[in-house]
Order: sequence, then C-alpha cells, then structure tokens
Amino acid sequence: MLEKKTKIYWLFILPGCLFLAFFMLIPLFSLIFKTFFNESGSFSMKNYFSLLESTYFKQVFWRSIRLSLISTFVCAVLGFPTAYYISKYSKNKGILMALAVFPMFTSPVIRSFSWMVILGKKGFVNNFLVSSGLTAKPISLLYNEFSMVVGFIQLFLPLMILSLIGVMDNIQEDLNLAAGSLGASKAASFRYVVLPLSIPGLVTGSVLVFTGCLTAYTTPQLLGGTDTRVLATMIYQQAMSLGDWTQASVVAVVMIVITILVSSGINGVSRKLNPTI
Amino acid sequence: MALLELQNITAGYDKNVILKDLDFQVEKGELVSLLGSSGCGKTTTLRLIAGFSSPMAGKFIFNGKDYTQVPLNKRNFGFVFQSYALFPHMTVFDNVAFGLKMRKMGKDQIQKEVMEMLKTVDLKGFEDRFPKEMSGGQRQRVALARALVIKPDLLLLDEPLSNLDAKLRVKMRVEIRRLQQKFGFTAIYVTHDQEECFAISDKVAIMNHGVIEQMDAPSVIYNHPKTEFIARFVGFENFLDLKKTETKGIYVASNGSRIQVENDKEGDSFKACIRPEDIQIVPGGLQLPNPLEGEIMVSTFLGKRNQYNIRTEVGEFEVSTDQESVYKSGDQVTLSLTPNKIILL
Repeated sequence: MLEKKTKIYWLFILPGCLFLAFFMLIPLFSLIFKTFFNESGSFSMKNYFSLLESTYFKQVFWRSIRLSLISTFVCAVLGFPTAYYISKYSKNKGILMALAVFPMFTSPVIRSFSWMVILGKKGFVNNFLVSSGLTAKPISLLYNEFSMVVGFIQLFLPLMILSLIGVMDNIQEDLNLAAGSLGASKAASFRYVVLPLSIPGLVTGSVLVFTGCLTAYTTPQLLGGTDTRVLATMIYQQAMSLGDWTQASVVAVVMIVITILVSSGINGVSRKLNPTI
Repeated sequence: MALLELQNITAGYDKNVILKDLDFQVEKGELVSLLGSSGCGKTTTLRLIAGFSSPMAGKFIFNGKDYTQVPLNKRNFGFVFQSYALFPHMTVFDNVAFGLKMRKMGKDQIQKEVMEMLKTVDLKGFEDRFPKEMSGGQRQRVALARALVIKPDLLLLDEPLSNLDAKLRVKMRVEIRRLQQKFGFTAIYVTHDQEECFAISDKVAIMNHGVIEQMDAPSVIYNHPKTEFIARFVGFENFLDLKKTETKGIYVASNGSRIQVENDKEGDSFKACIRPEDIQIVPGGLQLPNPLEGEIMVSTFLGKRNQYNIRTEVGEFEVSTDQESVYKSGDQVTLSLTPNKIILL
C-alpha cells in the first residue's frame, strides 16, 4: 500500500526537474561541451591551455579567489559574534533578524550606488577624512579591490549571519551550563562547545558567501575598476564586448570548478574540527 | 553544622518570584530529594545551588563559606541534566574527561581516572562512541560519570531519570543510590516522581509554591504528613474536621460522631486525614470502631481493588476495598475509620 503511494510521489518533482533540465542543464552543458573543441571541430584542450597561460587571466583568477576569500573571512569574523548575540542573548530576536537581512531587500545595484555615494571623492568618508585633517586631500576608495570587498561583505553578510543563527539556535543552553559546572570558564565553554558546534553553520555560511562573491557580477562591475576585473566581469567582457563566447565559456567552467573545489575543501576542514557533522 | 544552607532565598525571573524566603539545609553525605509538581520551584532551587542563576535576595552557604557569588565554574559541583546535556561532538571518553581537562590534569592521569569511572558505571568499551550512538540509559550513565569523575563536593541531579522507560528507571535509581553510597557524596535530587524519590532519598523535601512544606525521612513524610498539601500529595484522600473532647483520644466530628484517634496531638481542633485503604466498609451487624453512616455515590472497578465515593454527614469519602464484597451506587453502608491510621494535621 505504502510502496504504491510513494511511487506516485516522484511525479511531484517532475515539473521542477524538467524546468531545470531544459533551461539550465542543457544550455550549461552545451556551453561546456563547446569548450573542448577547436575551430576545426575536433577535440582539443587548446582553449584551456591558452587561457591558463594568459597572464591577464591568471591575474583575474587569483584576484577573484583572493577577494572572495577575504570577504568570506571578514563575513565570518563579523557574522559570528552578531549571530551569537542574536541567537543567545537578544530579547528582540525577530527585529534583529529583520535588520540583519534588511540589505537583502534591496537590489545589488541600489546597494552599490549607495557605496558610491559613501566612498566617492566627495563622499561622506572622504569629507570626514579631509575635514578632520587626517588626510590632506580625498583618497581613492572607489573602483578598486577595497570597494569591491566592502560591497561583497555588505551583500553577503546576511547569509553568514542567517546560517550561523540557524545552527546556534540548536545549541542547547544546557551544554554551556554543563561545561561551566565541569569547571570551564566562559572562554573555555566557547572554545570547546559553542565554536565546534557552530562549525556546520560556519561552513554553510562560508560556502554561500564564497560562491556568492566569486560569481557576483553587479557589485564588481559597479564598484570595481577596469583594472580590477574578476571572473564574472571577465566573462561578460569576453562574451559581450569581445564577442568571444568560447573564451567566456572556458572562464565559466573554471569558475564552476573552483566553486566545487573550495566548497568541498571547506567541508573537509570543518569535518576535522567537528567529526560528527 | 550543615554542609549546605540556603538562607532566606528569594529568586525568580524578572517580576515573577518563584522562591520566597526559602530555607533549606543538607547535611554531609545525605541524599536529599526535592519533590513537587511542576512550577513548585524545585528546579529553580537546584539551578540556584549549581550557580546557573543567582538569587534576588538571601544567602547560600556551603561548607561554611558564602557561595552566593561564586561563579558556577568555581563551585566544583557535579550536575546531571534531565536532557543529559552530553557534548554531541565529543566521544564518551572526551565527555567524561572534559572536567579533568578543565582542571589541567595530566594526560596519563586523565586516561586512568576516566577509564576507572567508565568501569564503575559499566561503560567499559564505549569510550570511542559518540552520544548519538548510545541508548538513553547509556547516555544517562555517561552523564553520571562525567559529573562524578571530577569528585564533586556536591552532586545535583535534575530529574535525571524522567526520559527513561519505567523498567530502566528503577534500575538506574538503584544504580545512583549504589554510587552515592560507594563514594559517599552529598547529593540533591529533583524529581516529581514520588516513588522514585522515596526509594532513593535519605530525606525528602516537598515543595509547594516556592516554599518547602515539609522535609523529613521518606517514611515520616509518608506516615506523618504535617500539612494538608503534603497529606494529599502522599495519598491521603479523605479529610474531616475534628474537635478534642474531655476524654483522651476521643474526638468529635462536625455531625457529633465520636471518633477515636490513636495519634494524639496538642491543640483543640484539627483537620484530620485518612487514606482510602484505611477505611473499611462494615457488613451489617458487625461492631467496628469509628462508625459513619453513608451512601455509595460512585463505584469504580480498579482490578485488584474497588474504589467507592461515599457521601456521609461529614463529607465525601473515598474508600478502597478488596473484592470480597461489592457494593453498587445507592447502597447504604457503614464506614469504619481505623483509629491508628487517622492523622491529625
């Protein structure tokens, strides 16, 4: 009886699967497929070798990874105490959670424009620096790696906070009390109980933030300069400005591979820290 | 002098006062139970002693020192949680070793002490398991081992058996009592299970609305309750008002019936109580002490025994009898209250 019923249920996922297959998997694989052939139509890794040898690509590649890692790290450092406070100590959890995710209610375009206002030559930060005499003339805060990282952090910090809150809410308060009654100071309870048990949230958050940063387009396009391109903006440049769809696809494949590698790398590290995940 | 002493403790959350002017003492080596229904303040008292929260007013003296402001990690009390609160990311060994690590004990010494403790609680060979790979009873023993291995000055147990099935509960309470007698530690045990607490404790403190109504040995509480609340709690279902007469041992009920009571007490008028099984329904023609006329209202079949709710001139009585003779509702009967089973409050 039960088995008969469960057989029917797979139909429920059919529409979603078909949609994804037609509009995502097929176009994606046809893109990837093309990258393995040269102009004459025979199988070749030439596209990859030439890309990997290009100094420009290497620059963009390492910049993307570096900026994504820095943003992930800063999000973790900023997000952890915030999430811990909201989860364990706040009385107005709902309001604080809403505030934490508030940036997500606006589009990345609007947010990037706000940063232009704040970080521009005549922006709020430079006005303050000049009027307070800290610098003689405005410093350039915009269209460089700094402004991109700032944009990334604001864009993805909510994801880190939400992932951490989800996990921290499930850490029983009794565990902290148990650690305390066994002689652990507050710092030791944090180090041996809260931190390892928060690792799953840190992992989810980090994977989301890292892949988000690596694939983000609007923020680096608006807040970055022409000499601070990242993979996502490079794909656009290759495809739209230079009309080289194959090259753009190769970069896209590289991007997918990095995302998978880094995600599984973060997973591996976390397993070492908390073997029960 | 008592090992532990709570003096005029008032405690609660925000404006909600749970404990009011509580006084409580425990002697060294005793196992004392705090018994009461939920919300009576027993868990609050235990958590206060553990240092999980601090009182609004009053003092906590331990071993002659003021412990009121001592932080929980400096108290050296073991705590066994209802939820066990085992660290899910640590093996059984690491769970038990945690307290010793915090005390900066050497690795070899930790190894030795933990293995010895695991042997004591019959968990040898389980040291590499994670809590989620163990049964409820096994987790309970890990929790006990973890609290005991630090050689606590006081062991606090918060309904430690309430998540186990009935059979295991009986086994574990014997186990806890065995360990307590083996190590001679002082323990405070919170429970709402009367049988469990009578079986395990040297003394029982029954709490009601944030105060301790009576604290005595289990048999004293069971046989000589001091207040109506305690009497109801330990199974006295029947209450009647009695006044003393000139004759010693003879009292008079509100309808004028003369009632003979063996356990005399100072005073003039009392609330008296008696258990359902200490009242007999008298067959016609038989002369038994303390007769009371009544009419059966409800007759309930309970298997081994029958329970009757009987209306009399001095109030409704609940009587429990064996199956020798069965009455039905509406029957006129005579009750006999056993004189040495009537307790004056």
